[in-house]
Amino acid sequence: MEHIPKYLLSTFIAMLLCFSSYSTIALAGDGPDEVEIDSLAQLYEPVYFDHAMHEEVTESNCAFCHHHTLGTKIVDENCMRCHAESGATDEIACQECHSSNRFDAEYLNKLYADNTLYHRDKVGLKAAYHIRCMNCHEEMGAANGCQDCHSRTDTGDKFFHAGTYAPPESDKPAGGGH
Amino acid sequence: MKSMNRRKFLKGSLLGGAAASVISKSKNAEASASFGGYPEAMGVLVDLTRCVGCRSCEAACNKEQGLPTPGQSFDDLSVLDHERRTSEGAYTVVNRYEIPGQDHPLFRKIQCNHCNEPACLTSCFVNAYTKTPEGAVIYDPTVCVGCRTCMVACPFYVPAYSYSSVLNPVIKKCIFCYDTRLKFGRPPACVEACPREVLTFGKRKDLIKIGNQRIKNKPDLYEDHIYGENEVGGTSWMYLSSAPFEEVGFDTHLGNQPILSYVKEFLTVVPMVLTIWPALFAGFHLLATRKDKQKTEKKSEI
Amino acid sequence: MKTLIANGKIPLATHYNKDRSIKWSVKDKLLLGLSLSEYLAQAFRNPLNWIFAVIFTFGGYVTITRFLFGLGYVTHSSYDYPWGLFLGFGLFVMVPLSASGFMLGTTVEVFGRDDFKPIERLALLNGLLGYLFAVVFLQVDLGQPWRLIYPMFVSLGPAAVLFLVAWHVATYLSVQVAELVPAFAEMMGMPKLKAFIKSMILGLTIAGIILSTLHQGALGALFTYAPGKVHPLWYSAPFQWFHFFCSSIFAGLSMLIVVSTICKKTMAWRCDKNFLTNLDRLTLGLAKGATLAMVTYLVIKLIAIAHDGDWGYLASGWGQWYMLEIGAGVILPLILFTVSIRNNLPGLARFAALIAVLGIALNRLNTALITFNWKLYQEIPHWREVVISITVYSLFIVVYRFILYRLPILYTWKNDEETAS
Repeated sequence: MEHIPKYLLSTFIAMLLCFSSYSTIALAGDGPDEVEIDSLAQLYEPVYFDHAMHEEVTESNCAFCHHHTLGTKIVDENCMRCHAESGATDEIACQECHSSNRFDAEYLNKLYADNTLYHRDKVGLKAAYHIRCMNCHEEMGAANGCQDCHSRTDTGDKFFHAGTYAPPESDKPAGGGH
Repeated sequence: MKSMNRRKFLKGSLLGGAAASVISKSKNAEASASFGGYPEAMGVLVDLTRCVGCRSCEAACNKEQGLPTPGQSFDDLSVLDHERRTSEGAYTVVNRYEIPGQDHPLFRKIQCNHCNEPACLTSCFVNAYTKTPEGAVIYDPTVCVGCRTCMVACPFYVPAYSYSSVLNPVIKKCIFCYDTRLKFGRPPACVEACPREVLTFGKRKDLIKIGNQRIKNKPDLYEDHIYGENEVGGTSWMYLSSAPFEEVGFDTHLGNQPILSYVKEFLTVVPMVLTIWPALFAGFHLLATRKDKQKTEKKSEI
Repeated sequence: MKTLIANGKIPLATHYNKDRSIKWSVKDKLLLGLSLSEYLAQAFRNPLNWIFAVIFTFGGYVTITRFLFGLGYVTHSSYDYPWGLFLGFGLFVMVPLSASGFMLGTTVEVFGRDDFKPIERLALLNGLLGYLFAVVFLQVDLGQPWRLIYPMFVSLGPAAVLFLVAWHVATYLSVQVAELVPAFAEMMGMPKLKAFIKSMILGLTIAGIILSTLHQGALGALFTYAPGKVHPLWYSAPFQWFHFFCSSIFAGLSMLIVVSTICKKTMAWRCDKNFLTNLDRLTLGLAKGATLAMVTYLVIKLIAIAHDGDWGYLASGWGQWYMLEIGAGVILPLILFTVSIRNNLPGLARFAALIAVLGIALNRLNTALITFNWKLYQEIPHWREVVISITVYSLFIVVYRFILYRLPILYTWKNDEETAS
């Protein structure tokens, strides 16, 4: 896929996302070509995720990332115990199931209120991205450093005391003392 | 020559008993009873299989607690080459451990474990530590005298001391972000910062269930043990690991007794001495001066 | 000093001079009956004072820097080793060596052994000054020494062992001061004050023994907070307090023998016949008490190892160090004491006492510093800690000497008030 200008891409993606929920079983080329993941962007710039390339890498088995929600074959044994026959769901995008406020009192209270809920250990959105992406990158030997996927913002540099905010050279031990 | 009359005996033992009983302790020393933590306390489950040593948690803690500028930037991973411990400028550190037989190292986040029956709290003679119902073990620097017994008592070597301060040296340790977050039901800064949810925040009793479920789901990955579930009476911060815990720098010889139970043996002796010694030594005195008394009585008879 | 006595300057021991023409003033009592120039001259002649001068000049400066620049300047600022020499030596070694106070107080007042009276006051003074300077060392060590009274009046943590230590040491200091007031009252001619204290002496003594049992034990119990950090051979959850209490008995008695020997050798002019002629007999008497405590201590030490099943550790390097401490520090002086008692050899008893004192110091330093964190690296205290410890200990010696020269501790005050017309 040639590289398309970003502004066009975003519109195209937006349109596509609006219609993607109508499909029952995902087919090759159904998904967006690129997704801008920016809902959590603060310390780092948004991620420009090449969705099309990753579709190829997984040989269109959407379940690698999207669990069973696109109707494709499940890979995880633990999930298969219950979801072997499960089909597609309405929720497809990660953020539709994985909360960006995983540890807020509101989310936790809902969790504790419902004793019948099985998926109590569902990670939040940030972890969903990182665990899903990084584990596979590790396996495939792809670039796995923080800034390989998203470079730091100025706020991020300040947070990490890095870049222009880096402390001067010192032999003060980090986490110093004994 | 001392004549031991009843009045002097009473005065003596009362004075002795009173002087000592002013400081008598009403410690309820039931050897079997232990606290076990507040039932609705929060905790954090640290899953070492997820940690990649990015040090975002260290950066978040530094910002949240207003800690001084570090010696090296938080994205400098060369600091992981040396094993570090918490210090007056770092309430949490991440260490890297090479695991024999494993191709990738494991990383461990160290911070106060917020024990159910903290040794620091037990040992503090000015009651500077408090175990809050939310689960945090917090510290009051306004009463701390600087005796540093808590540093001796903590089996995890967590509390640090600001020796560099001349006028107000105090203990420095993780407080579970109690003042700024936990008190209001929010997770600590490190939990929020972690990109891979190495740190799962929730009710302690629920985290134990989650931990056991993770072990059950992936028995080949996890060690069948939640570190901190029972160690030294149970801690609010618990760990899951894919390698034996002693290989990841944990002390696996701590036992399940809270540190307090090692001290209880002496604490039970205290009221015994306070109550028995006055009568015992008054009795010795009576025995010892018996002959003198007989002599004076004999003299008066003559 | 000897020349002064030879020239007829007899040390003060009465309210009036020989022919009752002069009543000694407070200044006279302070200057030992000498004129100021005579007093200063004899002080300058004493080479020991030159050593003290050097120590106080340099060491005094270093001590001041601790308060000017904080603990970080005089220690290694260790988080793993929060306690150094100030507590390891100043508190944990000095306190058991000061146990002579309650030991002799109990012996004379409770058990009625008046034959120990000549040495009782020296024992009480040894106790008082030892505890007082242990508190001085504590104040040097505490991060915020101005908050010393917090555990008593501001924020109490009664479940902590240190809480007991704080209260007991504070109360016991008062008891010890009270027990020495009669000596002060005699010298200052205050018979009513002396009688007042004497009326409560039994109560004070019993309070003293209760307090001492508990705080000597509590200092040991402090280490029960660190089961994994103190080496198992030096650690015992149930018996640690008793190890420290029982060893404090023979520590105090041995220290008393050592101090009385020093007094006899270096200030015989200040000791009267009552003290000197009884000293050999008393030394052997103290030795007898010490041997009983030593045997008890050894048995309980063995039981503690059996209780925790620590026999295996004896085979290690630490085990050999342990056996050296017990062998040279307890068993050797025990044998020497026994031989000296059996054969009436007070000189041998004095030598044994010195070894016992060093053995106690070694045991306390082992528990607090050397075998502490035995699984970690070893830490050598900062040189400034050593300097400050020497300085404060020298101050202790100087104050000790000051009081011994003046108060009727080593001599009997002849009360010649009544004969005045």
